[in-house]
Amino acid sequence: MKINDALFGIVFVLVASAILITVQSFPTLPDQPYGPATFPTIIATIMILGGIALCVSGYRERAHQPLIRLAAVMKTRDGLVRMACVPVFMILYILLSKPVGFPIVVPVLLAGFLVITTRKLLKSVIIAAVTTALLWLFFVDFLMVSLPLGILTKVIY
Amino acid sequence: MDVFYSALEQVFRPDVLLIILGSSIYGIVIGAIPGLTATMGTALLVPLTFFMDPVPAIGAIVSATTMAIFAGDIPGALLRIPGTPASAAYTDEAYKMRQKGLVELALGTNVICSMIGGLVGVLVLVLAAPQIAEFSLMFSSYEYFWLAVLGLSCAIMVSRGSAIKSALSLTIGLMLSMIGIDVVMGIKRFTFGDTELVGGISIIPTLIGMFAITEILRKIGELRELPPVPPVRVSRMMSGVGSAIWKYKGGVARSSILGTMIGALPGAGADIAAWVAYAVSKKFSKTPEKYGEGHIEGIISASSANNAALSGAYVPTLVFGIPGDTITAILIGVLLMKGITPGPMVFVMDAGLVNAIFMVFVLANVIMVPIGIGAVLMSRHVLGIPQAILFPIILLFCVIGAYAANNTLFDVWVMLVVGLVAYVLEENDFPLAPMILALILGPLIEENFMKSMIKADGHLIEFFSRPVSGTLGVVTLTIWALMIFMHLRHAKRKQAASLPT
Repeated sequence: MKINDALFGIVFVLVASAILITVQSFPTLPDQPYGPATFPTIIATIMILGGIALCVSGYRERAHQPLIRLAAVMKTRDGLVRMACVPVFMILYILLSKPVGFPIVVPVLLAGFLVITTRKLLKSVIIAAVTTALLWLFFVDFLMVSLPLGILTKVIY
Repeated sequence: MDVFYSALEQVFRPDVLLIILGSSIYGIVIGAIPGLTATMGTALLVPLTFFMDPVPAIGAIVSATTMAIFAGDIPGALLRIPGTPASAAYTDEAYKMRQKGLVELALGTNVICSMIGGLVGVLVLVLAAPQIAEFSLMFSSYEYFWLAVLGLSCAIMVSRGSAIKSALSLTIGLMLSMIGIDVVMGIKRFTFGDTELVGGISIIPTLIGMFAITEILRKIGELRELPPVPPVRVSRMMSGVGSAIWKYKGGVARSSILGTMIGALPGAGADIAAWVAYAVSKKFSKTPEKYGEGHIEGIISASSANNAALSGAYVPTLVFGIPGDTITAILIGVLLMKGITPGPMVFVMDAGLVNAIFMVFVLANVIMVPIGIGAVLMSRHVLGIPQAILFPIILLFCVIGAYAANNTLFDVWVMLVVGLVAYVLEENDFPLAPMILALILGPLIEENFMKSMIKADGHLIEFFSRPVSGTLGVVTLTIWALMIFMHLRHAKRKQAASLPT
């Protein structure tokens, strides 16, 4: 996914400006003008200069660089769906793993993702179940990580 | 001698040896599968190292990366697809050898040269690091500040593409490093009122997001099945290797030393070392016309250099705490999590640990030969793993890895956001190496900068008042001037080329 340099430049200038505004409220050392704001101010200034340089180069190259150009793979339905699955998988895990529980959410999410990538239902379900079991054994029983049990907490304890 | 025995005791323990063996096999698999890089493999290892003592944790990373850099040669020679970017320089050469029926010789040479390169790098590390560390004990905050800035400047200089984009990538890393409690007055900065951010941005999810999620996003869109792997006769792997290496022994020595030096340069890793060594070898070759036609000389040079670079990167890492590449940047993150701050004091206070690291390096490079031969034997199975199954499982591993270190889902959010932002940045030619180096070095730079500013009462000339700091300062400013000059010259040429003739 190609984005025109000027757009990046604007984002950098805006972020750096927000940082410069935020650090205004930071205190300084007694008798010296330095403090927690000094270093962020220097870095934000470099960011603004770099951002302006990108704005200029993006503007100059506007004939060759459209504002946003999707990667070839994003123009195919399958490619786009598979890519979208990555953030969707993570967001669903974040939202559901605690209330529902790792042993229920993960096989379902993984099987769903595998069906989309392999298009084979049975194989996906088996791989998802086995992978979840192995990862549970490794992380919970071997490394002692407490993965969320969710609704299974009441069933087990 | 006591230190040596203490190191021996720390490394040659069944659990440590088992971890090194397991990590080596993991590294071989990661390196052999096209699309999975050594850096990604290291990032995925970090959550596991969280549960280990320092020596096995370092051992795991060292052995996995050593194996991964060699294993990248396997699909390069067999399928003309480099397993990792470090093998790209000589993939065509190795594939041409396969077409001539010499694939076993190419792979055998790869594994032996990787070991030699790696061991030369370790030798330089063992000889040079303690000496430099002793010298750097007299460094003050001025020297440390310039050294870290010099490191970041080198990272910008060696990055491919626009220096402005590299510099901006670096500023993102520095900004991320400033989140949390500040080093001067202990106030909260950029935490947005969120208690999860008070301790700073978690390093594990950031690393996984930057190096694993970006890779998954790039590869999952266009899944491809690899072509069938041709049969390889492992019995032929060592035949003719010795005579080939002996014939080009000068090239092996030159490339190993060159690779170590390039590796020690912050931001430049195994891939750049391989490209440079290949080009230098061609330049000095008596038969440069054979390059590109399946000539063993180029393979010998480049595969020595990439493994040497891996060891070389540990020189600035251990001595100054300045990472030589993305892998050592991750390693510093791991050491910091374990309460160890790399730097000259480690050589004084914990010489046993330093010697243990040296031993792990030697061990990893030596066991690379049998494990590497085994990997070639198993290559048909490893390369046969469908990517459509592999990437969803890696994603799940990333999610659990990000969560496991602190048992918080906030870290999964961090991984998601960092991964998406890093993906967009990388797709638009912003290199990630300066960002991760800056994230790791940020606190060191700020702390030493602020100490120096307060000591000097704001007089910048004090930054140049000591001989070493003055020299480092001038070198750094010269590099900046050089980069600005090159950028302006490039822009002028580009403008001239676009004008109608």
